[in-house]
Amino acid sequence: MGLAFNGTGSEGMRLCIFDLRRGQNEGHEIDKILFFFPADLPFTTQLSVIGLSEGLITFTRIFSPEAACEVIEAERHSHVFYEAEPDIWMIMIVEKSKELEAVWRIDALRELLKEIHSLFMMFHGSIRVLLDKEPSGGLTRAHLYPFIMDYLRDFLVGKKLQLPSFRDCLKGRRTVQMLTVGREAAIEVQTLVKILESCGGSTPCSSLILFQDLLVSTTLSPEDTVNLFTYAVLRLTPHALSSGARSWTYLHKGNSSSNVATESTFAPSGSFSEQFYGSEDISCAGDNRYRVTRPLQHDKWFRGKDGFLITDICGVDVGSSYITSPTVWLQQTGERMYLCAYQYKSLTLILLIPLSSIVNEEQGVSIVKQQLRENASLKILKVEEKLSKGWGGENAYHVSGYRYLLVDGNRDISRASPPAKVTTLTKESLLALNRLREEVDSEKSRAKWDNPGRNKDLEVCIRAKNNAWAVARITRGKELYMVLEKANETLFYASDAVEKFSNRYCSGAFSLD
Amino acid sequence: MSSDSSSSSSSGDDSAEINPNSDSKPVDERLDSSTLVEPVELEPSNHRGNGDGVANGSVNREGLNSGDEDGDRILVENQEVFGEEGPSSPGSSGYAGERGSSSATSGSGIDDASEIDDSEIQVVRNEGSLEGISDSPASTRVPGKRHVDEDDASMSWRKRKKHFFILSHSGKPIYSRYGDEHKLAGFSATLQAIISVVENGGDRVKFVKAGKHQVVFLVKGPIYLVCISCTEEPFESLKGQLELIYGQMILILTKSINRCFEKNPKFDMTPLLGGTDVVFSSLIHSFNWNPATFLHAYTCLPLAYATRQAAGAILQDVADSGVLFAILMCEHKVISLVGAQKASLHPDDMLLLSNFVMSTESFRTSESFSPICLPRYNPMAFLYAYVHFLDVDTYLMLLTTSSDAFYHLKDCRIRIETVLLKSSVLSEVQRSMIDGGMRVEDLPLDPLPRAGSSPHLGQQILPTDSLERPREPFIGIGGPAGLWHFIYRSIYLDQYVSSEFSPPLNNPKQQKGLYRAYQRLYASMRDKGIGPHKTQFRRDENYVLLCWVTPDFELYAAFDPLADKALAIKTCNRVCQWVKDVENEIFLQGASPFSW
Repeated sequence: MGLAFNGTGSEGMRLCIFDLRRGQNEGHEIDKILFFFPADLPFTTQLSVIGLSEGLITFTRIFSPEAACEVIEAERHSHVFYEAEPDIWMIMIVEKSKELEAVWRIDALRELLKEIHSLFMMFHGSIRVLLDKEPSGGLTRAHLYPFIMDYLRDFLVGKKLQLPSFRDCLKGRRTVQMLTVGREAAIEVQTLVKILESCGGSTPCSSLILFQDLLVSTTLSPEDTVNLFTYAVLRLTPHALSSGARSWTYLHKGNSSSNVATESTFAPSGSFSEQFYGSEDISCAGDNRYRVTRPLQHDKWFRGKDGFLITDICGVDVGSSYITSPTVWLQQTGERMYLCAYQYKSLTLILLIPLSSIVNEEQGVSIVKQQLRENASLKILKVEEKLSKGWGGENAYHVSGYRYLLVDGNRDISRASPPAKVTTLTKESLLALNRLREEVDSEKSRAKWDNPGRNKDLEVCIRAKNNAWAVARITRGKELYMVLEKANETLFYASDAVEKFSNRYCSGAFSLD
Repeated sequence: MSSDSSSSSSSGDDSAEINPNSDSKPVDERLDSSTLVEPVELEPSNHRGNGDGVANGSVNREGLNSGDEDGDRILVENQEVFGEEGPSSPGSSGYAGERGSSSATSGSGIDDASEIDDSEIQVVRNEGSLEGISDSPASTRVPGKRHVDEDDASMSWRKRKKHFFILSHSGKPIYSRYGDEHKLAGFSATLQAIISVVENGGDRVKFVKAGKHQVVFLVKGPIYLVCISCTEEPFESLKGQLELIYGQMILILTKSINRCFEKNPKFDMTPLLGGTDVVFSSLIHSFNWNPATFLHAYTCLPLAYATRQAAGAILQDVADSGVLFAILMCEHKVISLVGAQKASLHPDDMLLLSNFVMSTESFRTSESFSPICLPRYNPMAFLYAYVHFLDVDTYLMLLTTSSDAFYHLKDCRIRIETVLLKSSVLSEVQRSMIDGGMRVEDLPLDPLPRAGSSPHLGQQILPTDSLERPREPFIGIGGPAGLWHFIYRSIYLDQYVSSEFSPPLNNPKQQKGLYRAYQRLYASMRDKGIGPHKTQFRRDENYVLLCWVTPDFELYAAFDPLADKALAIKTCNRVCQWVKDVENEIFLQGASPFSW
């Protein structure tokens, strides 16, 4: 049994994590490898990938000591580099197929790597700490392998991994999408947040409130908010719970280790890599060397009768009386928290209880839960009602005639045209905007090196071959990307359209003329 | 290389391939062999005469032993050998003396000063022109290789903003912009290793990015070219520059150099390029100031239509007598050119050829007859270029396929020169040099009166008109509506016209910055996947840039960053109109052989 996807379906992508500090001596190079996908590639191939990456990291540091290799562009592949932690590198290699679909933005792929690492850190702490805890690397590999495989499974379409492409150029990964809330509802939400905070008794709890897949409120730092929001949208919101159930076609309950092997999209991998990555240890059953939770495993969250979400990501059967709450590390404070989620209709509440404030987990968490039920139930009902009333539906943020992405880099917030509307754009328009975003990415990165701390100010309007306008506006850390199809050919039309949009939806942030 | 090539060529010519660096003996041998060479008995003005450069007054401004090198250049006897053993002959166009010259100049401290910004644009010009870039071709720069004392261990070397390397597929260094090639052997091997590791994976590396740095790779058969740059140029531009460097190498050696590598993968090419450092560094410098390097178009010296016609007529006369191309240029600008029927000259070839001629000092000192290859015309074969400077900036190039056409071409040149002098074309050229090109301050508010074509680019219209034109307010702030600069490229003519630099773009750094911005704009407008865009408006803290691409022309314009959008667009339309009004003066019209 193993976690590798079918070799044939996923040869378009390779993903590896390695530690430059390990395997320095000849013959021990294999120690460097902490993760490799697909795992059934021969070690010689894995090592040659890492050898090239390592070589280029060293080489580029000759000229650019402050920033080593970020990307290798070759004719058939792009190699995307991300130094997740000092000397711990993540490399993603994507294949450019002949069809035009395989066009992406390198920064979008790097954001994927960042997301994997941030989520991993949230649940398991830093890779370096894991390596220090157990220098053989077994513990780290046993954590990384199931975690990343679970993550990647979200990108499986049929037997193929579908990574973010130019079609996603109007999406802002690693940002939070907010719900616009009326004044009255905002006051209700505020009260609810106060109640949630006090549920932990003497130690205040942190909380995140989501309506559908949109954030309503948070008491966390922007970075922690992004991580928890991402996790919630992936696994906790009503949408995530139901979509998981749909895609889960073959579920064996009761034997958590065998259901992995029998899932249709997985195929047995070579036995040597299994040992290496400790994939026989991935479940949490008691007889394993390492006790590993798999927070991204599909369909491991359920909504209990009392509204609380319960999980068996730690391998404990849902039916069991003892249900553990998963824990997360907060980046900002370095604190470890119990994650407790409650759902009412479209509303999802995430409560984070400091581990330090609870002596006995089972007892402590259930006291908090009880507090929530007693003190907040009514308010939750009210907030849900208010938000549902004001909710404009899936296309609430559609602006007719515009296809846009608005990113507030200062607060890691974004808003975009509904995906269904974006799909009405022609391929040419999307490619034009994707290319424009790449240019903006490189301008931003250059500005970062040239004038650290100073925000880039940029305005670009391009009339593409198909007569669509692709627009990018960057000002004071805010970014606006836009495609206008079937638009007038004059530049005035385009800038006027941006101006109107800016005045109406961005409080004039992009109105410069 | 000597052993390799000598084995392959006929005995009499062997000497020609001898490593130019190995001093006296080869020179003697070469002199021996040169007895077979026709041009040996040239009149004194050709300083070929056995070290009798003296006859020429000053053999070489650098006062170097250029007797050898020039001897090489006119050594054209072995045409057949070119065909058969291509690479061996190129040795005969090696520039032994100039290798010496480059190192001599590099000792001269001046280059250090000019190096501070990696490749400052030189604004110095004797003619008192204030325009800077457009009038400052590489010839005004200190030529040759610089910082030969550096290698990859020196911090100063690592901090250079833009490196260029040529190496062989076995990792042997052939050329490095900075530092001594021999000391860079290890580094060169690393570059080779990167390329081959990726190749072993069934792929081909295009570029690597790291922070502000980009490493761009170009593989041309057995020749590898690499650029390491932290300038802001996009990949497409840097790759284009590597292509040009490769083209420059082919121009000197022809592509048949590949055969040497087929025979011996460890073949050492450096001797073949001996002395040509100056050609490459001048080309690399032109990436900073010459828009032709990314526009793939050429530019003309502004001249009255009749004057250019007169020049064209006499060139045409010559072309009819078996000359493949006859080109009259002033610095990097074309005065006129004609080609034999069906022969077409690519703008890149013109760029490389004029760079070669202008950067090689010895061309200026006497008439020369040199084998050259036009990579876009035929990368496998040599042509022969008769080059003669008519004055400091103006030179005539007559290209032929025949290796023994020297005297014929010399006669042609004399005829041309006589006509040019009689018709006062040369003095017109000098005047145009002083007057300069189009200036944004002169942009007419209204379309020019079509009838009375003005003497120089519509600058002197009716006196009343010029009074009305609000010229004064623009001084120091560019043209109307904050217009700072523009480039107009005519698609079907393959020519461009670039306005002169005016304040506030007065220092070389700003000018180079603008060219780089244009380069980015140019690359941004043409994405391979989605085809060229139509319009682009781009505003950042430095400029407002406007680009407009139509089937007929491309316009690139730079404005003050605070320029009003509406006015900027209006101004662009006026620029296009202005260009159309004076197109007979700024473009070479009806150059029939341009049939690509």
